[in-house]
This record gives sequence, structure tokens and C-alpha cells, in this order.
Amino acid sequence: MTIGTLRLKNPVMVASGTFGFGEEYQDFIDLDQLGAIIPKGISLTPMEGNPPPRIFETAGGILNSIGLQNPGFNEFVKKKLPFLARLKTHVIVNFFGKSQQEYVELARRFNEVPEISGLEMNISCPNVKQGGIAFGSNPRSTSRLVRAVRKSTRLPLIVKLSPNVTEIDAIAKIAEEEGADAVSLVNTFKAMAINIHSKKPELGNIIGGLSGPAIKPIALRMVWEVFRRVNIPIIGMGGIFKAEDAIEFILVGASAIQIGTANLINPRTSLDVIRGIREYLLKNKIPHVRKLIGLFRPRP
Amino acid sequence: MPLQAQGIVLKNVNLQSLYFLLEIECPPIASLLHPGQFVMLKIEGSEDPLLRRPFSLFKKNFTHHRQQENRGRFSILYKKIGKGTQKMTELGRGDKINLIGALGNGFSIPPSPSSQRAALIGGGVGIVPLLSLAEALRMERGLAVFIGGKTKTDILCLKDFEKLNSNIFVATEDGSLGHRGTVIDLFLSEQERLWRGGPTPVFASGPLPMLKGLANALGPQKSLCEASFEARMGCGFGACWGCVIRTIDPETPYQRVCKEGPVFNLGKIIWEDR
Repeated sequence: MTIGTLRLKNPVMVASGTFGFGEEYQDFIDLDQLGAIIPKGISLTPMEGNPPPRIFETAGGILNSIGLQNPGFNEFVKKKLPFLARLKTHVIVNFFGKSQQEYVELARRFNEVPEISGLEMNISCPNVKQGGIAFGSNPRSTSRLVRAVRKSTRLPLIVKLSPNVTEIDAIAKIAEEEGADAVSLVNTFKAMAINIHSKKPELGNIIGGLSGPAIKPIALRMVWEVFRRVNIPIIGMGGIFKAEDAIEFILVGASAIQIGTANLINPRTSLDVIRGIREYLLKNKIPHVRKLIGLFRPRP
Repeated sequence: MPLQAQGIVLKNVNLQSLYFLLEIECPPIASLLHPGQFVMLKIEGSEDPLLRRPFSLFKKNFTHHRQQENRGRFSILYKKIGKGTQKMTELGRGDKINLIGALGNGFSIPPSPSSQRAALIGGGVGIVPLLSLAEALRMERGLAVFIGGKTKTDILCLKDFEKLNSNIFVATEDGSLGHRGTVIDLFLSEQERLWRGGPTPVFASGPLPMLKGLANALGPQKSLCEASFEARMGCGFGACWGCVIRTIDPETPYQRVCKEGPVFNLGKIIWEDR
């Protein structure tokens, strides 16, 4: 599996925001076995995040409104990256800005950091206005932003798409035209929950993002729509809890997948999925996972 | 260093009203647990609820019938309040549960038995982490334990604390047992007498409104208090940043209850309206 110039040893990555900075998982799994680690999203300056409560469980899913709390570029490079850089896996940095200038500035700075293998630009966080959703839900602003970031970095560039749009394939097409090496989808769905006793929202931010098994069928449909429209690799995610889920995403066109919410519940999920995909390939005598991409056949 | 391991249910009994005691055999995690720390629990094979749930250490290395003390065992005490705890009540001897632990920073315990006096204040199921703390403090005298709840069936662990020769004070909001009022009011009415020889450490555990009331009552002396906080958690091991509480730390105002906590110095907390 390659994204631009980046080669992955397997198609399983861990999704930004669900894997901390990698170190939180070192007691549970061998991190070297992962295809790539995407740490928590980074902004130019530190962000304190949203007021609690920040998390609430709904049927088959989780609402969160963390609000992109992060230590900012400098602290990340100084305090968090050294641990990640020692691992025998790729570090793909997820980043976002409050303005186009901030996106460009971050892309330029990360371009100079040799420990980083690639970038995932977040144009889709539903929890803060500055999380990029304002850019990612509009074709023209997506176009301008991806073009500007593309010019600022030679690193493999993934654009992370929001599902909170009418035509996700149109936004994906624009990302491709503007030079993205891959698209990743989907981020969380804007959602909310109310406590009927207090009559208050369950989240401090009122609105949050829904993830988990509840969104898998919608995410799968979106990956398929995007696969029919673009030629760059697609990284699929949304409620992947086991190898079978991952294989579904690959069959509809994903070249790689990300594990998100499942990491929080079973920190070993990503390694279980890697093993499960390998067993499926062996059992079905498929020589390489590449042969599985988009193999989905519509009913005649 | 936390780890993920399978635990076996030894016993699961209804103590009183909605409160249950779950005894677990899990040597790797039992050996790591300190007072104030917790485990994240999931019933094997169950997808609903989706997330694990956090439970504080209640007792560990307890004796069973005529057996020797068993070092691989620990227990939690839980209240049946939702879907997850409802399912937990159905667990029986031999059932498997999946655990992550030991998690969080527990209470600070002086390395040698202390002759200093201390007050322990627990509200409802919040009393749970204070029992192993009381045992670890190993005080010959001067342990004052304040136990509070809405009504008498919410007053837990009375007999356990009696065995430790502690001074016990009970408050219920409806007056059905002990002092009528909150456990904070009761503590304040005894504070002067308890602190005659100077202020003593306070250890507290309970719901947010109780801890907020205690912080207000202690005023500038709230930094003498270590408090264990409850929060909704995503992962329990610091990855998701879902369980934060606001603190006076200028660099990272929102800190994780699961990682930097669940025990915080009460003087570090900034109270936000929820």
C-alpha cells in the first residue's frame, strides 16, 4: 500500500484523536506492528479544548466533543514526537488551522521535521469552528485550501473528509484535483443527546461527533461513492471493530483503513484486525491485500 | 504500568438496596492496584454497553473462609444505575470479565504508619476507595470517617470501618440514619474538635457537587484535601481526553480524571457550572 511516496507494511492505521500520542498504548500492544500511527490533531498554538462533559455513549456509538485539545506544534515536536520517532512504524501527523495561513504555516513547518512520514489535513472536525469543517463542507474553500497546503509541503498529503456534506464524492474529487495523495473518510457525524431529567445537553459543547458501530454502514456507503469518483487511494474508517469490518471497507474501495473508537474499548483491536485480514487472505487464497481493493461486485 | 487481562468472577452479591459487591480473581492486575486507583471493566462478549466502565478498588488480598490470604484477588463495590451495571448484576461465579488496570493516580500514603490524625469523607458509592486507603494509612488512632448518603440504604461499609477502630460519623439527607443533613455539614460541625491540635489531612471521595461543597467549606485549607473524582470516561488510560476536569494548571487547564487523577489535590480544581 502506497500513499504518494509512502509505503506501509500493512493497511491498518490508528485514527487521530483515539490513540493519544501513541505512548498511552505502549503497555498494551507492540506499536511497531501498526501500518501507521496518526496522533492527536495538532494546531499551531496550544488549544485547551471544550468544557466537560465531553463524552456520552449512545446506541452503538459514542458522542464526543473533546474540542481538539492539543499542546500545539512546538510542544508536540519537543515532547511527544521523540517517543513516536523511535517506533518502527510511520507517523502521519493530523493537523488543522483556524485560517488558511495557519494550515499553510503548519504544513511548511512539518515539512522540515524528518521524523514525520506524512500529513493528514483535518478539514472536518465537527467540534470546533476552527477544526476545519467550515473549509471542508464547501467545494470552493476546500479547493483553495488543499491547493495552498499542497504547495507548502513535499510530504505525502492525505485530506480527511467530513461526512457532514451532501456530496462527499464531489469534495473528494476536488482534493484529488488539487494534488492530495489520498483521502481519508469519514470523520464523525454531527450529533447530540439530551438528558430529559435535567433538560440539559449531555455534552458541554451541546453538539458533538458520533463515532462507533452506529456509523459504519453510512461510512461504508461514502467510501464506495468516493471510490467510484477518484483514482487516489482511499483510507476508510467509521466503526471498524474487527477484521470483517475492515475487509468490507477494502472491498468497496479502501486501500487502507483506520481504527478509531474501538481502540478505546480494546486497545488490541488494531493488531487483531491486522491478523484477521491476513487470515482472510490466506483462507481465500488471495496473494495480497491489494487484490481485494474495490473487489465488491454489485448485483447484476 | 497498566495492563489488559482477563478476570474471573469469584462472587457477586447484593449488599443492600442497589449496591453490589463483585470479587474478582486477576493476579496480574490485583498486584498492581493501590488505594484510589481503578480498573476499566467489560463483560466478555457483550457489545452493549459499548464502552468499558470505571470502578475503584474496594478491597484486595482479602481472606476467603478458611483460606490463606489470596494475593490475586480484589473486589469492587458498584451501584446498579444503568444498562452496564444492570448486566453486571447478572454475573456469577466463574464468569469472565475483561479488565484494564491498575489505572490513575491513587491517594498519597505516608511510607510508615502515621500517628497523625486524618479525616475521611465519602458520599454514597464514593466511600468505596476510602476503605483500602484507611487500611493503608494504618493509624493507631485518630481516623475520623464521615459517611454520607441520601438515605440509610446509601450508607455503605459501616462494618468495615468499625473493624478498623475508626471514629465513624454518619449523615443522611433524610435523617433516616445518623445526623440529618449532608456529610459536609456533619464534618464542619466536628471540624473544630478534630483540628484542635492543628489541621489534619482530609481524604474525600464522592460526586462532584459534594466535592465542590467540601472545597467551599474548607476555603483556603482545601489544599489539605486529596479528593477522588468521578467522571464519564472513554478509555480510562489517557488516550481520548474525554474525562477532563478544569484545574489551575496554566499549561494544561483541562486535566484527565483517568490519568492525572482520579485523585487530585482539592486546591487545584476550578469549579465550572455543568
